[in-house]
Amino acid sequence: MTDDFEFYAVDPAASPDERHAIRQLLTRCGLDYEEHIQVFVACRHEGRLVACAGLESNIVKCCAIEPDLRGGSLSLTLLSEVVHLAYERGHSHLFLYTRPENVSFFQGCGFYPLAEVPGYVTLMENTPVGIRSYCDRLRTKRIAGAKIGAIVINANPFTLGHQYLVRLAAAQCDWLHLFVVSEDVSFVSYRDRYALVEQGVQGIERLTLHHGSQYMVSRATFPDYFFKEKGVVGDCCTAIDLLLFRRYIAPALGITHRFVGTEPFCETTRKYNADMKYWLQTADAAAPAVTVIEEARTRAGGTPISASEVRRLLRSRDVDRIRALVPSATFELLQDKYMPKIVPFVPDLAGAAGEPDAVPRRAVAAGV
Amino acid sequence: MKIVKEALAGTLESSDLLVKVSPAAGDGLDVVISSEVMQQFGAQIEQVVRDTLNALGVTDGLVVVEDKGALDCAIRARVQTAVLRGAEVQTFNWSALS
Amino acid sequence: MKLRRSMLFLPGANAAMLSTAFVYKPDSIMFDLEDAVSLREKDAARLLVFHALRLPVYRGIETVVRINPLNTPFGHADLEAVVRAGVDVVRLPKTDSAEDVEVLEREVERIERACGREVGSTRLMAAIESASGVINALSIAKASPRLIGIALAGFDYVMDMQTERGDGTELFYARCAVLHAARAAKIDAFDVVWSDLNDEAGFLKEVDLIKRLGFNGKSLINPRQIELLHNAFAPTEEEVDYARRVVAAAIEGERKGLGVVSLNGKMVDAPVIDHARRVLQRAEASGTRK
Repeated sequence: MTDDFEFYAVDPAASPDERHAIRQLLTRCGLDYEEHIQVFVACRHEGRLVACAGLESNIVKCCAIEPDLRGGSLSLTLLSEVVHLAYERGHSHLFLYTRPENVSFFQGCGFYPLAEVPGYVTLMENTPVGIRSYCDRLRTKRIAGAKIGAIVINANPFTLGHQYLVRLAAAQCDWLHLFVVSEDVSFVSYRDRYALVEQGVQGIERLTLHHGSQYMVSRATFPDYFFKEKGVVGDCCTAIDLLLFRRYIAPALGITHRFVGTEPFCETTRKYNADMKYWLQTADAAAPAVTVIEEARTRAGGTPISASEVRRLLRSRDVDRIRALVPSATFELLQDKYMPKIVPFVPDLAGAAGEPDAVPRRAVAAGV
Repeated sequence: MKIVKEALAGTLESSDLLVKVSPAAGDGLDVVISSEVMQQFGAQIEQVVRDTLNALGVTDGLVVVEDKGALDCAIRARVQTAVLRGAEVQTFNWSALS
Repeated sequence: MKLRRSMLFLPGANAAMLSTAFVYKPDSIMFDLEDAVSLREKDAARLLVFHALRLPVYRGIETVVRINPLNTPFGHADLEAVVRAGVDVVRLPKTDSAEDVEVLEREVERIERACGREVGSTRLMAAIESASGVINALSIAKASPRLIGIALAGFDYVMDMQTERGDGTELFYARCAVLHAARAAKIDAFDVVWSDLNDEAGFLKEVDLIKRLGFNGKSLINPRQIELLHNAFAPTEEEVDYARRVVAAAIEGERKGLGVVSLNGKMVDAPVIDHARRVLQRAEASGTRK
């Protein structure tokens, strides 16, 4: 007794024929091929490619089944296979995005909804205890107070601008929770970013420094891939991340205010700040609103300080100007570790290989 | 038996179940069951899972079960497979698996 | 005399099939831990089969498990699991010589002793899948009193013979050799699987051939094939009538204490009586041929 569905893993980079077949299947199913997928589970029936599901690290993408084979057990087998493949590749905590009408199907596959942009998209994770136990851990660090602030920074690298914002926010609050984005894909490693923040905020009172998580400015919470070419980029790309913050993280710590720096030059950042106000304060959500406070960035020599400016100066080896923008610990680390690393090889890294910077790209563009 | 790494066993197909085990974050055993027949058989499924873990001497960890209407024998087999994988154990006492 | 016309293959890693296959009522059910199970799922399948074998629903049906060869990393653990779980028959794949069976038998006996199972209660069958195996069929068939039968496995065999599956010509010698070895050793002989589920006529043609050759039965990969096979193996009304009269005469002869059995004035030999009993057994199992 056998079924004639053969499942196997495909490395799309190494198998152009398979990649082509997968692309055609996705097209037939009305889906776009995602270039960042590292591996697919493919399923063939009588020689024909009939189903696939991809993985970009721990995010399940591009799940498709030939229309005439839907409604049976194939979808459950496909999801089982992709979850097994993810485990084999060392990813046990999985996320996926789907349209809200498909949520109940994925609930039947062991995925649990985290946040939804009504009518557009739902983020799900493959554990019933993921966000719950994360919030349980956060709650142990809860401090009572009338005004509890939060800041999320990537600190790539930590600048005097970050330091200024943290100090300003801490002074206004009964307590401040500072999070460092933990997705380790930035130019400066997470370890270094966290260490520099830790040193940089020493002496600031009423402050707790937190490690970031998958639930906050991560590859999983910024689904930029999902919206591309779908015409909803502007409205949704930040929504899931912000809704997670409002629904889970803020209530766990009792956060009432979120602080963010302005960026007078960048349209994307203005848009992100506007989104933040909308999703944290205005949009109808089950959780209480979080007040967004935009603080003007501090300036050095008349120009607002930003981490992206520091990276630009680093590429052009403009050491003296960097010194004026960052705390001394940041400066020393950049000089010892990061300057030798990039300059000799690629004079203009941005031009050669794109911004060597944080994914999620939108988060970075937004100046987090 | 001590769960030292995340591990998975089973499928989401009908009459089967998917079992995920993880090392303990704190002390003790956390068993989370989700089933299409939770109302009718939730308590029984949990009992089978806990008995199976107990027989293997698993006292700490997180065990998540997505049940698709599996028979008790499939539940035992899947829980044992996940635990043995998560404990990185190759040789074991068969009488603990009965 | 155990009837073994149909031996249904079940992939050992499939929980749903293991839980429900008893409803199809083949003569024997064969849980597969070998080719039907991916490397990733070997451990999972072994445990599923271990528990399935202990299900009360399988008590009334002969259970067979195809283990992985003992020279793989899985074979010994498979054997440990299934002997302890009380399997009726262990099927050894890729049997090339009598020594393969002897190694298996020693291992089975060791496990029986270790777990307190009656020594000798685990029966064996050997699958022959190579030219060497076919050449050694007789010594394989006689290698252990635990053997209930030998089976020809077509796919690997035709590969080894540098040919491929076709109309049966490619299996001609192997079928005859395996069958003769089984009969000489007084054990059962099983034919290859028929894998094209859509070609029912082809399946029935092959069943007719192997039945006429004298095989006891065939390995099956789909429950749909069970009834077709049982019907093809069922005797006609006339065969049943004649067999009834032969058996009645035999009983009569025994009752009268006669050394010789006669029917319509002709002497009936013991092999004819055995054959008649088999005909009646098949008729009892699935009626007369439709």
